[in-house]
Amino acid sequence: MHMDAFQTLADRTRRQIVETLKRGEQQVNDIVAALDIHQSGVSRHLHILLDAGFVRVRPEGQLRLYSLRAEPFREMEAWLTGYHALWESRLDRFDAALERKLATRTAQRNRKEKKA
Amino acid sequence: MTPPPAQASPKITLERSYTANAQDLWELWTTKEGFESWWGPEGFRVEVRKLDLRIGGELHYDMIADAPEQIAAMKSMNMPTSHSVRARFSEITPLKRLEITHIIDFVPGAQAYENRSRVEFFQEGRTVRMVVTVDPHHDPEWTQRASMGWESQLRKLPAALAARG
Repeated sequence: MHMDAFQTLADRTRRQIVETLKRGEQQVNDIVAALDIHQSGVSRHLHILLDAGFVRVRPEGQLRLYSLRAEPFREMEAWLTGYHALWESRLDRFDAALERKLATRTAQRNRKEKKA
Repeated sequence: MTPPPAQASPKITLERSYTANAQDLWELWTTKEGFESWWGPEGFRVEVRKLDLRIGGELHYDMIADAPEQIAAMKSMNMPTSHSVRARFSEITPLKRLEITHIIDFVPGAQAYENRSRVEFFQEGRTVRMVVTVDPHHDPEWTQRASMGWESQLRKLPAALAARG
């Protein structure tokens, strides 16, 4: 999922559509007006966002209203949090290695001073 | 699995500050002894075969499972308990900036691709701020974990921590 999710949002226009939909449910014309992009372009990108599960659509009379779905964003966040944890623990080991390095040097210096 | 284009990847930045000199931090990243003292993931140790600190110079190391539970886990998945990792130094500004480009060539069905990890050191009075910038998508350890099915475990971690309050 993750590779596809990030790939979906790699496109600038799709990110702009997501930004626009953050304000709430909108129809295509509103998105077109907000982004100043031709309707066919917006429709194409909306389809990709729909397919990837980022966006949902519901009919209301003649209108089709688009809005964001929270699930893929939550999944992306969970994935990134997990990755962050991996690097945090790697840097914890870095901290420990540095402490050992500095402690060894202090011990060596103390031994030299004692000899002197 | 085809890796996405580079711009698809969110970069992650981690920062830590140390009361130490930049030389000590630099050595942990750029010497055999230093690198081996911390790089390997929990339950693994790293054995550096080659570390040629110059632009384009090779960094070649083995990641070896050494905790009993890791060895058992790898065996149960029919995976070798040691695997070879290749990288090169793609940027070197002594004591200031280092970039390591890993070559990810162990993902079944995917063409080899590259991952860059960058570390920068900023001297601020008596402390050094270390800034690490990484790309999760292409990260070798993350990719390895995902291919071994650990990703789902890691993804549970934040929730588990939250539950512990």
